[in-house]
Amino acid sequence: MATLLAPAGSPEAIHAALEAGADAVYVGLKGWSRGGARGELDRDELARAVRQAAERGAELQLALNTIPKPRERAALLAEIPGLTALGIRTLIVNDVGVLATLRRRFPELSLTASIGCGAQTVADVAFFREIGADAIVLPGTVGPAEAAECAAVGGITVEVMLHMVEEFVLLGKCAMPSYVHLKPTAMPGGLPDVMRQTGSMKRGGVGACFRICQEPWELSTADGHRAAQLFPSRQLSRLGDVPGYLAAGVGVLKLQGRSLPPEQLEPLVARYRRAIDAARAAARLPAFPEPVLPPSWTVVGR
Amino acid sequence: MEPGAFELNTSVSNLRHLRASDLGPYDAVYLGNIYCRRYEGNPLERPTELREAIRLVRAEGRRAYLTTYATPRNDTLPVLRAALAVAVAEGAAAVEVHSLGLVKLVRDEFPELPIHVGNFTNVYTSAGVEVLEGFGVARITPASELPLDEIDAIGRAGGIPLELVVHGKLPLGVSEFCVLLDYERTWGVPCPELCQREVFLRKEAWGLKSVGKGILSGRDVCLLEHLPRLVAAGHRHFRVEAVSESPEYRRAVGATYREALVRALAGDGWLEARWWETLAAHSRLGLANGFAFGRSGMDYVGTEAPSTTEWRAR
Repeated sequence: MATLLAPAGSPEAIHAALEAGADAVYVGLKGWSRGGARGELDRDELARAVRQAAERGAELQLALNTIPKPRERAALLAEIPGLTALGIRTLIVNDVGVLATLRRRFPELSLTASIGCGAQTVADVAFFREIGADAIVLPGTVGPAEAAECAAVGGITVEVMLHMVEEFVLLGKCAMPSYVHLKPTAMPGGLPDVMRQTGSMKRGGVGACFRICQEPWELSTADGHRAAQLFPSRQLSRLGDVPGYLAAGVGVLKLQGRSLPPEQLEPLVARYRRAIDAARAAARLPAFPEPVLPPSWTVVGR
Repeated sequence: MEPGAFELNTSVSNLRHLRASDLGPYDAVYLGNIYCRRYEGNPLERPTELREAIRLVRAEGRRAYLTTYATPRNDTLPVLRAALAVAVAEGAAAVEVHSLGLVKLVRDEFPELPIHVGNFTNVYTSAGVEVLEGFGVARITPASELPLDEIDAIGRAGGIPLELVVHGKLPLGVSEFCVLLDYERTWGVPCPELCQREVFLRKEAWGLKSVGKGILSGRDVCLLEHLPRLVAAGHRHFRVEAVSESPEYRRAVGATYREALVRALAGDGWLEARWWETLAAHSRLGLANGFAFGRSGMDYVGTEAPSTTEWRAR
């Protein structure tokens, strides 16, 4: 049966997501999360969050989705025993090498290939199954029909990010921020000499990708044409397609937004909870107070 | 590879550009446009033209490589299978892939075709190289964001040769939307001609190049004065990225780098003034080092290239 996987970036947000009916919640660990410092938990908060989720019969998943530099890799792997001791059983990772290494060294863990891995096809799903991933996250731009083809690969859980920002450049295929600006900052979490790059989404910025794709640019051609250009970016919600994704065999319906405050996260999760429950009961999609998602629910500062 | 030997390759988007290009400076050519299925005459969509292109490259004594889409979807896979079948039948020397799924697909369905992993596949770590070694990958272009010291470390640790872009506009992003289609009517330029105009995005000192669904660096990444460092680190596969450039750019820049690489491998790091003049003549927004030195991709680290100020005055 498909589960609803909600984001959370603070203890208050975890509470809100669970209250709203999430089956599982994913959070980031300070220093190792692509979401950046604003949406990360420290180890004490993480320990409490695991207990908090368990009390509700929910799972807490952990995003370790930066791509460590060579000297950081050993430090990341050294974190794992402590995390499993807390009760963490599922890690979300963003680098194929990290995933394969974790698979070998910690066979008891469930490993999810993050949306940043860029999987979109049946071939990608088959690749990640072969290297030992337990789950793979597809973007919400992959519709129910394509998701059904991916789920049919079998042997791996297919997750779809149903609520997300669809930016002009695809997740996992963007090096624009660091082309314009690369500003290393101190790495939180006790690695004194290690810096992380704020401009790099893959390397785990501190939440500042600079969003240069949303700046106004001047488009010009050598033969004299000029235009003001904004790159299209939109909030993507597949709420109306929940029945289709469930019928497609998608195992996890996932929402983006670890930076969302609890007061915005709670109604977002509740809305998807109601849609999933309605679909399972073969009922019509519930009517919501607002016909579309409020713009303020746009996921910011990832 | 023999001592002193190296490979310099380039990219060509279609048969028309290939026919107009002098492949003299190059050992190999990547055929196809990775960004858009509607790109003019994209041989990935046209088996007959792909066949002719491979034959043309091979007839000139060069290795023909097939490249593939940066962001394939399920409905693209049959098209790519058809192109791969042509590549095998015509003796293409390798295929470049930009998605991990295609690594597996090629290994399983076209095992005779060596696999080159492209920069959009996001290989950032030696652990990633190890995984791909298990799939029989023959060569890897690391992720664009990696600095040279990390690339060198990956090269030392892994058993797979690395390919580096030494010159050209660095691929920075891929989209499923084309920003240029909105201008077909107002500019009176139809697709697929639109993205072959030189289209730049400017904001203050920033500059990017748009090829519709792809974003490239506005400045040309240039590692000319760093070639001795690259060869000393053991790198032997180099690319002049020219997918959106003219045949004259491809010829002139390639000739410059071939000469410089021969010298660098002979232990001579002397840089000719005419080389800079050639590169300057073919760069609209100036030169940068990409991410080679762990700085912003727009920076230039070095002393030999004409300054950005000089470029702005052009």
